[in-house]
Amino acid sequence: MSSWLADTIERAEEVNDWLSPKRKKSLSLLKDTRWPTRKTEAWRYTPVNNIERARFNVVESQGAPATDIPHLNAIDIVFIDGIYNAELSSKHFPEGLTITQLSEGNSSSWALDSFSKTKPERHFFGLINDALATQGCIIDIAADATIEQPIRIAQSFKQGTQTHTRILMRLGERASACVIEQLEGDELCFNTSFAEYQLAASAKLEHYRLAMQCADAISLGGCHFHLAEKAKLNSNLIGFGSQLSRVDYDIIHAGQFTDSKFNVIYLLDGKELFDLHSAIEHTQPNGKSEQNIRCIVADHSNAIFNGRIHIHRDAQKILAEMNNRNLLMSENAQINTKPELEIYADDVRCAHGATIAEIDKEAMFYLQSRGLSRNEAQVLLSFGFINELVDLMNNQAVAQWLRPILKQRFAAMEVS
Amino acid sequence: MLKITDLQVKVADKDIINGLNLHIKPGEVHAIMGPNGAGKSTLSYALTGRDGYQVTRGSASLDDQDLLDMEIDQRATAGLFLAFQYPVEIPGVSNMEFLKVAVDAQRLARGATKYSASEFLKLAKAACKQVNLPLSFLKRGVNEGFSGGEKKRNEIMQMIMLEPKLCILDESDSGLDIDALKIVADGINSQRDGKRSFLVITHYQRLLDYIKPDYVHVLADGKIVKSGGPELALELEAQGYSWLESYDRNAGDASE
Repeated sequence: MSSWLADTIERAEEVNDWLSPKRKKSLSLLKDTRWPTRKTEAWRYTPVNNIERARFNVVESQGAPATDIPHLNAIDIVFIDGIYNAELSSKHFPEGLTITQLSEGNSSSWALDSFSKTKPERHFFGLINDALATQGCIIDIAADATIEQPIRIAQSFKQGTQTHTRILMRLGERASACVIEQLEGDELCFNTSFAEYQLAASAKLEHYRLAMQCADAISLGGCHFHLAEKAKLNSNLIGFGSQLSRVDYDIIHAGQFTDSKFNVIYLLDGKELFDLHSAIEHTQPNGKSEQNIRCIVADHSNAIFNGRIHIHRDAQKILAEMNNRNLLMSENAQINTKPELEIYADDVRCAHGATIAEIDKEAMFYLQSRGLSRNEAQVLLSFGFINELVDLMNNQAVAQWLRPILKQRFAAMEVS
Repeated sequence: MLKITDLQVKVADKDIINGLNLHIKPGEVHAIMGPNGAGKSTLSYALTGRDGYQVTRGSASLDDQDLLDMEIDQRATAGLFLAFQYPVEIPGVSNMEFLKVAVDAQRLARGATKYSASEFLKLAKAACKQVNLPLSFLKRGVNEGFSGGEKKRNEIMQMIMLEPKLCILDESDSGLDIDALKIVADGINSQRDGKRSFLVITHYQRLLDYIKPDYVHVLADGKIVKSGGPELALELEAQGYSWLESYDRNAGDASE
C-alpha cells in the first residue's frame, strides 16, 4: 500500500460523526482496493503518483472566494479551502428549498441514507471522499417546488491545501432547480469533490460543473445522478486541465421516460491533463440520453475521455447518443478517447462517434484572407468549435460569463 | 494599383500560371475569362497567399507594395479582397463576430479607430440590407447552412464592410439565379467609386452585362492570350473557347 494511502486511511479512521456508519463501509472497501496505477484500466492514461509526491496540509480557511458570476443572482454556498464560509453564503432560501451543512450533523434520515448511494463504489477517490469529506452541503427541494434562483456552490483552493467536500441533493417529485458547482484554483493543492443528485419522478435539474482548476492543482471528483421516472437532467461540464484533473460522471436512468443531456467542453494547455470518465446506465425502457464532448488540446496537454453506455436487458426503446469531437492544436498534445457500449436490449438506438482533427486549414485561410491574424483566426475557430455548446446553455449569465474566459484561454494557448 | 509581372505559379509541382502579366489601374474593372483549368482560381489564390500555391517567378504588387512577401492577413489589410468561389462554412463563429474582428483588423492597419459596437451594428445592418440578406444572418454561423446564392451575397456584404482597394471576384456569378445575380452585381457596382479596382473572374459573359468591364482578358494555359474591350466577352460567348486551340497550347495539361 502506498504511504499516502496508509496515512489517509489512518486519518479517516479518526473521523467520527453522523456519517460514520457509511464511512466505515467505504473505508473497508478502500483497504481492499489497490492504489491505481497505469495497469488499472480506469487510470490507464492518468498517473496519480504526483499525489504521493506532494505534501499537503489541512489548513484553516484563508484564501479568496471563487470568482463572482455577474448577473447570476444566485443562492450562494461558499467554500474556501474546503471550509464553509457562512459570511459569504446566502442565509435565506425560498420556500421549498432547504440547505444545511454536512458539518452541522445529521439533518434527516434521507441524507444519511443517500450518502454514497448514487455514487458507485468503483471510484477510488470517491471512497476517499466518503471517508474524509466532513464539509459540504445537503440540498433538499420539496416536491412541486420550482426554485427559480440558481444555487451556486463556489469552491476555491489555495496553495498547499488538502480538502474533501461532498454535495448531496434531493429534488422532490416535479421539483425543478439549477445548480452550479464552481471550482477554482491554480496553485498546488489537492481536493476531492463529489456530488450526488437524486431526482424524484418528473423532477428537472439544470446542472453545471465548472471544473476550472488549472495549472498545478490536483482535483479529483465526480457527479452522480439518479433519475426516477420522467426525470430530466441537463448537465454541462467545463473542464480546464491541471497537473491532474479527473471527473467521474454517472447518470443512472432508473425510471422509464427519463431524459439526460450532458455537454462537455474541455480546454487544455501546457502540460495539463483532464480525464473524464462518464457512465450512462439505462436500467429501464424508453429513456433518452445524449452526450456531446468537445475537447481542445494545445501544447503538451493530455485529454482522456472514456464514455460508457450500458443498456440493461429490459431497457427497450432507448435512444442513446455519444459524440466526442477533439481538436488538436499541437503535435505534442495527446488525446485518448474510448467509447464503451454494452447493450443487452435488442430494440434500442445507440450511436457513438469520436473524431480527432486539426484546425480546418480552409477556414483558416478564409478568415486570414479577411485580415485576421493567424492567432485571431485560430482563436475564433477554436472558440467556434466549443461555442456551439456554450450557446446551448440555458443559463445566460453562466454562458455570458464563460465566453470571454474561454476566449482568454485560447488566446494564451501555444499553437504549433 | 495591381501590377503583375511575369508571374509563374506552381501547384503540387505543376506549373499552372506561366508568365502572366497584368496591370490594373485605380478605378478599372478587368475581367478574366477562360476555360476550365486555365488557372483563373490559381491566380486568385496565389495573389491572396493561400498555402500550396507557390510563386516560382515574377512579381505582384498592390500600390507598389510587394504582395508576395506578405502574410495572408497583411495582403488583406493592404487592401486585397477575394470573394470566394466556394465560401467556407464555419459553424460556431457568428457572422457578426467574424465581421467585427475583420473590420477592426482593417481599421487598425489603416490607422483608423475601431468602430464602437453601435456604429458597427449600424454599418453591418446597412450592408446586410444592401445585399438583401435578412438581419438574422448576422447572428448565424459564418455561411452555415446558407444557400449558394446567400453565400455569394455574404461575400459581397463582407466586401462592402471591409472597403478593399482591389477586389477579386472569383466566379461570383456561378450558381446564381437572375435575381441573385442582379443583387450581387448591384452590390459590386455600388462599390465602384473611381478608385477601387476590380478583377472579375468568370466563365460567362452574363455577369459582364451587369458589371461593365474596362478590359477583358482571356486566360489559357496560365497566361493571358488575348486582351480587349468588353466586345471580347461577347465574342467569346458566341464562339466559345475552342478558337483558342489555334494558340500554342497543350490542352488538358493544366488544372485549376
